[in-house]
Amino acid sequence: MQDSLQTALRIAASGLQAQSTRLRIVSQNIANAQSTGSMPGADPYSRQTVSFESEMDRTLGANVVNVKSIGVDSSPFKLEHDPGNPAADEGGMVKMPNVDVLTELADMREANRSYEANLQVAKQSADMLNTTISLMKDA
Amino acid sequence: MQLSSVYLFEVGSQKAQWLSARQTAIAANVANANTPGYHAVDIQPFSAVLDSSPIELATTNPAHLSLPQSETGALREVEVDPAEQTLSGNTVNIEQQMINLEDVNRDYTMGSNIRRAFHQLLLSALK
Repeated sequence: MQDSLQTALRIAASGLQAQSTRLRIVSQNIANAQSTGSMPGADPYSRQTVSFESEMDRTLGANVVNVKSIGVDSSPFKLEHDPGNPAADEGGMVKMPNVDVLTELADMREANRSYEANLQVAKQSADMLNTTISLMKDA
Repeated sequence: MQLSSVYLFEVGSQKAQWLSARQTAIAANVANANTPGYHAVDIQPFSAVLDSSPIELATTNPAHLSLPQSETGALREVEVDPAEQTLSGNTVNIEQQMINLEDVNRDYTMGSNIRRAFHQLLLSALK
């Protein structure tokens, strides 16, 4: 069986990984918030979503977190009147991505908060390991 | 008198083990802070671990199976006010987990310092 503190470190690492994936998707969504299609009437960029799942890691004997799936948001696209746009249809309407920058920013803040919490756990676990090791220093 | 300090080392290492197990539980909670349907867990209090003296079955034959030990790490779900549960069914309160983390770290440092102090006490008798 593995040392509990090292297990704690691994779990925190899985959390960091999951949250950074989430942050990657958020940045992808924000970067493409104005990406329209290239052909008249073509679909623009669709917002992507991340979902997590808790998974029992047999070798660790603990619940780590994994990215379950990266999905596509199927909510309708916004229509904007912009006849000059290459993606405009006969009526001059352009389909804009279904990305709401405010929602993405909120998601980003939450990912940031969770990332920091995981980092804190990792730091403290490493600290505790070091405390034990330092017991041997001046024995 | 002499025995009591030896016993202290045993309790000290038990406590360190218990704190490590608790750290694992906290790490799992924090990692799953955004996982839908995840319920926060904690381990049983240290006093319960101290009070229970697990009875071991003697293995007198290689074919005997030993019972799983280490009740220390037994997880249990934390009871949470339904109002605190998020829409996705997650019951992790990240602030509470940070407080627990701080508690564990403080206790661990204190435990290891106490052990160091007693160790030096024993050594000073030897030197």
